Amino acid sequence: MFLKIVKNDFLRNKIVSITVFVFITMSVILAASAINNIANLIQSMSALQERAVPADITMMHAGEYDQAEIDQFTEQYRDYIAMQETMVLQNIDGSNIHFGQNQTLAGTIQDISFIVQNQKFDFILDLDNEKLDVKEGFVAVPIYFMEQHDLKIGDTIKLKSGRYEREFVISDYARDFEMNSSLTSSKRFVINQNDYDEMLEMRAGELEYLIEFKLDENGDAAAVQTAYNEAGLPANGPIIEGKIFTLFNAMSDMAVAIVIIFISSLLIVIATLCIRLTFLATIDEDIREIGIMKAMGIPKKDIKKVYLNKYRVISAAAGLIGYLMSFAAVNLLNSNMRLYLSSDFSGSLKYVLSLIAPLLVYFMIVMYCQKILKRIDKISAVEALRRDFTEPGKSRKYSFSLLKNKFISTNIYIGLRDVGKRYKLYRLLFVIFIVCTFIVILPLNIFNTMNSPEFSTYMGIGKSDMRIDLRRTDRITEDFKKLQEELKNDNDVEKFATYITSSYPVQNAEGSWDYLNIETGDFSEFPLKYLEGRAPEREGEISLSFANAGKDGLNKKVGEEVTVRVGGEEQTLSVTGIYQDITNGGKTAKANTSLGVNKEAILWYIVSMDMAPGVDKRMKMDYYQSTYDSAQVNDIKEYTYQTLGNLIEQMSTVVIGGIAIALIIAVLITSLFLRMLLSKDMSQIAIMRSVGLTSKQISHQYMAGTMMVLVVGIILGVLVSNYLGEFLVSTAISYMGAAKIEFVDIIWQTWLLCPLALMIAVGLTIFECCKVAEKDDLSVVLRS
Amino acid sequence: MTNIIEARSVYKKVALGNENELHILRDVNLDIEEGEFVSVMGPSGSGKSTLLYNISGMDRISSGSVKFKGREISSMKEEELAELRLKNMGFIFQDINLLKNLSLIDNVLFPALVSKDADKNAVYEKAKKLMEMTGIEKVADHTITQGSGGQLQRVGICRALINNPDIIFGDEPTGALDSKSTEEIMTILAEINKKGTTVMLVTHDVKVAAKTERILFMVDGIIVAQKKMSKYNEQHDNIKKREESIMKWLVENGF
Repeated sequence: MFLKIVKNDFLRNKIVSITVFVFITMSVILAASAINNIANLIQSMSALQERAVPADITMMHAGEYDQAEIDQFTEQYRDYIAMQETMVLQNIDGSNIHFGQNQTLAGTIQDISFIVQNQKFDFILDLDNEKLDVKEGFVAVPIYFMEQHDLKIGDTIKLKSGRYEREFVISDYARDFEMNSSLTSSKRFVINQNDYDEMLEMRAGELEYLIEFKLDENGDAAAVQTAYNEAGLPANGPIIEGKIFTLFNAMSDMAVAIVIIFISSLLIVIATLCIRLTFLATIDEDIREIGIMKAMGIPKKDIKKVYLNKYRVISAAAGLIGYLMSFAAVNLLNSNMRLYLSSDFSGSLKYVLSLIAPLLVYFMIVMYCQKILKRIDKISAVEALRRDFTEPGKSRKYSFSLLKNKFISTNIYIGLRDVGKRYKLYRLLFVIFIVCTFIVILPLNIFNTMNSPEFSTYMGIGKSDMRIDLRRTDRITEDFKKLQEELKNDNDVEKFATYITSSYPVQNAEGSWDYLNIETGDFSEFPLKYLEGRAPEREGEISLSFANAGKDGLNKKVGEEVTVRVGGEEQTLSVTGIYQDITNGGKTAKANTSLGVNKEAILWYIVSMDMAPGVDKRMKMDYYQSTYDSAQVNDIKEYTYQTLGNLIEQMSTVVIGGIAIALIIAVLITSLFLRMLLSKDMSQIAIMRSVGLTSKQISHQYMAGTMMVLVVGIILGVLVSNYLGEFLVSTAISYMGAAKIEFVDIIWQTWLLCPLALMIAVGLTIFECCKVAEKDDLSVVLRS
Repeated sequence: MTNIIEARSVYKKVALGNENELHILRDVNLDIEEGEFVSVMGPSGSGKSTLLYNISGMDRISSGSVKFKGREISSMKEEELAELRLKNMGFIFQDINLLKNLSLIDNVLFPALVSKDADKNAVYEKAKKLMEMTGIEKVADHTITQGSGGQLQRVGICRALINNPDIIFGDEPTGALDSKSTEEIMTILAEINKKGTTVMLVTHDVKVAAKTERILFMVDGIIVAQKKMSKYNEQHDNIKKREESIMKWLVENGF
C-alpha cells in the first residue's frame, strides 16, 4: 500500500519528481565529494607533515653570517629548540635555467634555488612521500614548475650562469612541504651533493641562507623568534612561521572544497524550490483529497505520511546514489592534491565524514516538507472540500481592474497582473532569476576587478605603466644607483619614483620588538588610494597596511603613534593613513624617505614609472630587463597576473562555469515552473478559449508575466551582485589585507551581455513552454 | 427563415483503448433557424452536451459536416474557430466557468476587451446595461468568491452577450440553481431570444424546456424525436399545459 501510494504520486508528477531527485543526487555528490576532499586533505597533510618534518621557524638571510653564533643561541634555548639546521640556497635567475627547445624560466616571479637535502628536518620528498635521494647529474624539479612548463622525468635542464654550465636530467619531482604552493614565492630544486659543491665552487648562484629551527612539542615560536631578534642574530629577510606553510598548502584545495559546498547548497535550495513548486501547483487538487481523507476519519499524522513518504523515498534513494557516486566524482577534484600532497588516499575517515552530506540533505528535505505540510493541520475537512482553499472568499480589495489599463493590450495586462495576484507562486521564479544572475555577475565582477590595472590598489601599489623590482643580489645597491641615473636621462620615461623596502624593528602591541618591512620613498608621484587618511608626506609619518593596522598586527588607528628603531635610535612615527595590501602576508608599511634606510636589512628596491606618450612599452621593458640582470621588469597588469598566480585563470573558468550553471538552472526551472503553472491553470485556460481567445493570445499572457519576472529578477540580481557581492568579497578577503574591494563594473558586460544571454535563453524557454495545447476537445476540460 | 446551423451526418467517436470506440453522436442531422429557441433533452449519457459542443465548434466532430451561417466549421483552423466563439457565439455553462482573478464586471468585459478594436467606454456602458438588465449591477465589483450561484450565472449570461452574438449555447445553465433562480434566468434568456438571438439549451428540466419553442429528444447519440411548439408568450400561454404536453411526449418516446 505504502509503495503503491508513493509510486502513483511519483508517476503523477513524473517530471518534477525526477528533477527533485536529480538535484538532490547532484547536491549530495558535490557535498560528499567536497567533504571527502577535506578528509583527504587533512589526512594527507598530516602524513606529508610527518614525513617532511617542516621547520617551525625559518629566518631568511642573505649576506654574511656566523653559524657558531647560531649554534650558541640554539644551545641556550635547548628547552624550546629540538633541532637547528641551516640550509644554503644557491639562487639562480630563471633566465639562466634552460629547458626544452630554447625555453627558459625567465619571467617567473618565483625565486629559484638549488639545494641538497637537509640532514635533520625540512626534507624534500618524491611523489611517494619518500625522502629524495638525487644521484649525480640528476635533479628533482618542484611540482610547480613541472606543471607550469610540462617538464617530464628524463627531460634535461641546463644551467648557464657566468662560467658555470651544466646539464641535469630530471629524475624526480620534488614535493616540498614548505614551498609547494604557488603562494610561496620560492621554489627549491634538489641536486646531488657533488653537483652542489661544484656549483658552489664556480659561484654559479647568489647565496641565501635558511636558518631553520624545529621546536619541541611545547616550544613557543613567538618567544624563540623574539629572543633571536634580540640576540641580534642574522635575519635580514622575512621570518616565516611553520603554520603559514600548512595554510598555503591547504588553501587552494580548501577554497575548491568551499566553492563546491557552496554550489551544493545552491542545488539543495533549488531542490526545495522544486518541492515547493510541486506543492503549490498541486495543492488545490491535494487539499480536496486531504479533505476526503479527513472526512473519512484518517488521522492527520497518517495523511501527512502519505505526502511525506514520496520525498522520504526520493531523498533517501538520491542520497544513497549521490553518496556512492561521490567516490568517483572526488577523483575529478583531487588531482591537485594528488600531485602536491599525497597520492595515497586510502584512509577511512572520508567514508564516515562523507556520510554527513546525504544525512544532512535528507533531514533538510524532510523537515522542509514537514513545514509545508503544517497547512494540513490548519484546515478542516469541510473547508478542504469546499471550493478554493487557496483563494478563500475573504473581502479582499479588488485591484488591477481591466478598465484601468489604458496603454497595453488586455492580454499582456492580464499576464502582468497575474504576477501581482499570485506573487507567492511567481516569487519562486523570481528568486531563481536573482540567484542565477548572481551566479553569473559576481564571478564576472571579481574577474574584471582582478584583471584590471586598478587592482594594484589592493596590492599596495599606485597605478603606473611599469615597475622594476631589484631583489636579492649582492649588486642590487649598485644596480639601483645605476638605474636611477639612467632613468633620469631617459627621455622616454615621463616620470618615475623609487622605493626602498627594508626591515626595521618595530614595537608591537605588547611592547616587544618585531621586524616590519617598511617601504620608503616619495608616494606623491604614483598615489595609492587610501582606505583611511593619506600617504606619509613628511618626516615622522608612517602609513600602515590594513592587516598591519588591525588587531593581529600593530593595532593602530590613524593619528596614533608607532615606535621604530632606526640606526639604533628609537623614532616615534604617527600613522597618517591605512591602505590595502594583499602582498607579503598583508602586513606592510610605508614611510617618507626621511626615515632613512636600514642599510643592514635592505630587502628590495622598486622603481615605478610612466612612459612618455607614444613609447613602445614592451621594447622599453625588454631593454631594462636585458640591461639589469638582477631586475624584474613588469607592467603592472602582468605583475598582478603573476602574483595572483593562476587565480585569475581559475576565475575565468568559474565565470564560464557560472554562466553555464546559471543558464541550465534558469532554463530548467523556468520550463518546470511553466509546465506546472499551465497544468494548474488548465481549466482557466479552457474558459478563456471557450470565450474566444486563441491559444496564441493565452500564451502571450504567460509570456508577459514570466518575462516581467525575468527582467525584474535580472535587474535585482545585478544590483545584489554589485552591492551585496562586493560586501561579501570584501569581508572574505579582508583577512588577506584588503578590506574594501570596489568592483570594477564593466557596464556592457553586467548590464547588457549577461542579462541578454539569460534573457535569450529563458525567453526561448518561455516561448517554447507557453505554447498552449490545442489537441484535446475543449469540453473535456470544461466539464471535468 | 435561414438556418444558422446546419449539421449533416455528424458522428462523434472517442477511443476507449483496446481498439474499442464509443459512439457518442451517431448520424445527427439538425437545422437550427435564426432566432429559434431550441432545447435538447434526453437521459444522462445520451449525448446532449456533446451535440452542443460539437455543433458549436468547441469540440471537433469525427465525421460529417457542420455549417454555421453557411460556413463549414469542421475544417476551420483554431484561430478561425476562436474568432467565431468570440464574435458570433456565446456560451453559458452549468459550472458557470468564470475567471477566478477577475471581478464580476471584468469577467463580463473580458471577451470584449480582447478584441483589437474594442471601444472601452462603449464596452463598459454595454456591460453595465447588461448587468442592470440581469439585476446584478450592485455586485459588479465583487470577486467571484463573493457572489451567489444565481448571481454568477447571470454574470455568465452577460459575458455571453457582451459581443452581441448570433447564438447562445447553454449547457444546463440552470442545472445548479434553485427554482427561483431558474425562473429568473429563463426569463432573461427568453427576453434575449425575443430580441432576435438564437438560443440552444441542454436541459433535464421540463420547466426550462417548456419555455423553448422546439425540443430535441436524444437517446444513445441519436436525435429520436422533435417537438415543435409556438414561441412561449407569458401573457397568452399556460405554462402548466405546455409542461404537461412535453411530459406526455417524453413518455411516449420512452423517457
